[in-house]
Amino acid sequence: MSRRAETGSAIPVTVLTGFLGSGKTTLLNRVLSQPDMSGTLAIINEFGEIGLDHLLVETSQERLALLDNGCVCCTVRDDLVVTLKEVAAGQIAGDVSVDRVVLETTGLADPAPILHALMAEPELAERFRIAGVVTTVDAVNGAATLDSYAEARKQLAVADRVVLTKTELTDEAGRSAVEHHIAALAPSAVLSVSGEVDPTEFVVPVGDEKAEAASLASLLKRITDTGRHHHPHACGEEGCDGHHGHHANAHDGIRTFAFVIDEPVEWGPFRQWLDYFASIRGADLLRMKGLVRIAGAPDQPVLLHGVQHVFHPPKKLDAWPSDDHRTRLVFIVKNIPRETIENTLAKFAGVASERLKGVAA
Amino acid sequence: MNSAVRADTLFLNGRIYTVDGERRWVEAVAAGDGRIVGLGSEADVRELAEPGAEIVDLGGRMAMPGIVDVHNHVLMGGATELFELRFPGSLGLRDIVGRVREAAEKTEPGRWIIGSQWGADLFTVLNTSEALEALDEASLGRPVLLRDETVHNRWVNSEAMRLAGIAEDTRDPEMGSFGRDPKNGKLTGIMIEAASGLVERAAATVGKYTDEMDRRAVAKAVKTLNSYGVTAFMDAAAMENVLAAFAALDDAGELTAWAAGAMPAVEPAFMFGIAGDELFAKGKGLARKHVHPTYVKVFLDGVPGARTAAFHEPYLEDPIHGCCFRGATMVTYPDLVRWLGKAESLGLSVKIHCAGDAAVTQALDAIDVVRSFNGPTELAHHIAHASYIAPADIPRFAELGVVADLSPMLWYPTTFLEGHKEVMGEERATRFWPNKDLKEAGALLAGGSDWPVIPNPDPWNGIEGLVTRRNPSGAFPGVALWPEQAVDVATAVEIFTINAARAIGLGDTIGSLEIGKSADMVVLDRNIFETAADDIAATKVLATYFEGRPVFERA
Repeated sequence: MSRRAETGSAIPVTVLTGFLGSGKTTLLNRVLSQPDMSGTLAIINEFGEIGLDHLLVETSQERLALLDNGCVCCTVRDDLVVTLKEVAAGQIAGDVSVDRVVLETTGLADPAPILHALMAEPELAERFRIAGVVTTVDAVNGAATLDSYAEARKQLAVADRVVLTKTELTDEAGRSAVEHHIAALAPSAVLSVSGEVDPTEFVVPVGDEKAEAASLASLLKRITDTGRHHHPHACGEEGCDGHHGHHANAHDGIRTFAFVIDEPVEWGPFRQWLDYFASIRGADLLRMKGLVRIAGAPDQPVLLHGVQHVFHPPKKLDAWPSDDHRTRLVFIVKNIPRETIENTLAKFAGVASERLKGVAA
Repeated sequence: MNSAVRADTLFLNGRIYTVDGERRWVEAVAAGDGRIVGLGSEADVRELAEPGAEIVDLGGRMAMPGIVDVHNHVLMGGATELFELRFPGSLGLRDIVGRVREAAEKTEPGRWIIGSQWGADLFTVLNTSEALEALDEASLGRPVLLRDETVHNRWVNSEAMRLAGIAEDTRDPEMGSFGRDPKNGKLTGIMIEAASGLVERAAATVGKYTDEMDRRAVAKAVKTLNSYGVTAFMDAAAMENVLAAFAALDDAGELTAWAAGAMPAVEPAFMFGIAGDELFAKGKGLARKHVHPTYVKVFLDGVPGARTAAFHEPYLEDPIHGCCFRGATMVTYPDLVRWLGKAESLGLSVKIHCAGDAAVTQALDAIDVVRSFNGPTELAHHIAHASYIAPADIPRFAELGVVADLSPMLWYPTTFLEGHKEVMGEERATRFWPNKDLKEAGALLAGGSDWPVIPNPDPWNGIEGLVTRRNPSGAFPGVALWPEQAVDVATAVEIFTINAARAIGLGDTIGSLEIGKSADMVVLDRNIFETAADDIAATKVLATYFEGRPVFERA
């Protein structure tokens, strides 16, 4: 379907999610309006919703629209996964060269099954890779929405990047309230404010593994730094949404846990432990990311990325992306206590608790 | 002490063993609306009687809670009784062939002759070209399928192989094999494990039972169970048709026992239909007051006699497997972990068939993994046929809350054991059923028959065997199987009542006589605590009560 697929490298997919009215369509509109976004295939729910009329050049098929900067928009027929499969099979936009995909979920969607499908379904996994999850949060209504809707909390919990929208419509207190929620539910995510950043940055750069590793390393650094400095939003014993007063129990048990392991780990038992985790608690494993220092090859970190029941085939990198060569793991989980992760890591992967540094523990 | 509900039935003048630690023996029990509303002296319970309450005079006999059988296959048991050729496992080749000949003369051409069961020790005798020739001759051209006593293997004639599409050049199926005469390499009609399924399937497509036949078979089986005092059981391969028969009978008010079901994760070799997720979903819809499809069944390995059980140490060398063959599991370890994880997420427990000690270790390891990730649970996983167990694994049953499903009732010398000796040597074969070690290590031991693996689901035979470790039929005189592993009568009774009730998830409803529990009771012709241990198997049930009403009375 595209030159990338022909050369065999996977097409990066950015999943754009966010609750109803949180401004994700506006954000997508701005991304697609950028001049250098050619080669982008946007998979959207319907043309009308996004208000693209001013960008349209032609509509070649009922479901496709070509924008004047070379982007293609494609509407969803059944669900996103079905549409993605049609794209993968060249049934849609087969004559268009695709360098990246931006996939917009509906406002009530749970993004985890979409991520899962991208990794677990063979026809998708060989064509696409997940470039990141961008979640829009509305600075005006976001706090209330997050208090009330489990869907919104889950969308936020799996984010790599959170874009705060409508900040101009709120005051300092309102903005602080919503940032507090974000820090609690998505402590590992990069937080940006819409309008303050080049929109193309929201679509995580079409990077190679090195770029992916580097961004993961900086993410891990942010989390571990946060922990060490006992920042109010630290990920402590109770997870990152710890003791934050009135909404401490309002997050459906969603927690982010980060771990640092100084010593190299034995890959075999460690991999077995990950497999057990995905087999038994996959439904509650929203996302997992990590860089692992393995015994026998301490200079070649292994990059991990898991969603629910699947892990990407672990990739061994040529070099560490930063000076920190320790194993660092981040788990975003639901209803899994920190001690379950610690105890099973000790029991099955042979990483004794005293070798394990929970961040801010 | 007594409940506010009035009694509609009083059981008086008995020696009633309650299995309840609070008061082991009482004289009288009062039942109302199918539940026990009072226990104690006659005076105690008479106070509770509503006017016109029925009085049952137990005549000084022993009574006790209804028996719970933790492992059987009722539809097969009933169908065997109603529709199939039955012969004892002690028959030799010539007698078996003779029975087939008699049956063939009464069977229309083209109809199948299905029979059971030949002894596991007959394997080498039947696995020859001469034996097949004799079977073919006796069958008068009818297809013949004969199950062995483990119900894992079959002996079939040439016509049956033809109908199943099995020829000399057919490749062995996954997880199974065709028996071949060691002298000439030709097929013998012996079907090992999954190979059995090929012929069972061919028979099922012709002679498939109707829903009506399924219901009749289950109804017959439950009557048989009631006649031995059984008022609750777990069907250990509860396919959709089995559960549907339970539900239909319960809807008609005719299911006179509590029926738990273990739904196969994967379609077994000997029963056909949907399995796994699809079956679990169906099971939900077939749950009834007395029907509890709350277990998943996983067949992890086969049976020792056919060298299909997975052991830590190798079998004895033989021409087919060569040296150092240890058997293998039929489910991979990651899949076992996944099934356990999935079952727990659905609120289902898992009964895992483990005949060899390596399968037991693997099952315990997998349960350990799931416990580590999921934490404590009310669910009770079973290791079925907990019989060959590495000493280091014995304490793990209690540590992990795993039930030792003691079935089939082979706690004494049998033809099965002789078959095991042939493949493992005497010393290893007789380290069979470490029941006392398990009990002392705190495991929950639950008794089961595995009927129709055992020709009759007779728990009194089982209780005697647990206590004496000698064959109650008088076979193998003077020989006891690992007698140090005997348990006392009170323990054996618990194994077949409260323990098995807990194991099938009904410990709060049945298994002992306590206020609020179901009035399921059996009346015996003797006091099994006072009779000689080697007379317990002769115990006759005089009457069986299910929810306070008689469902069996000896004529």
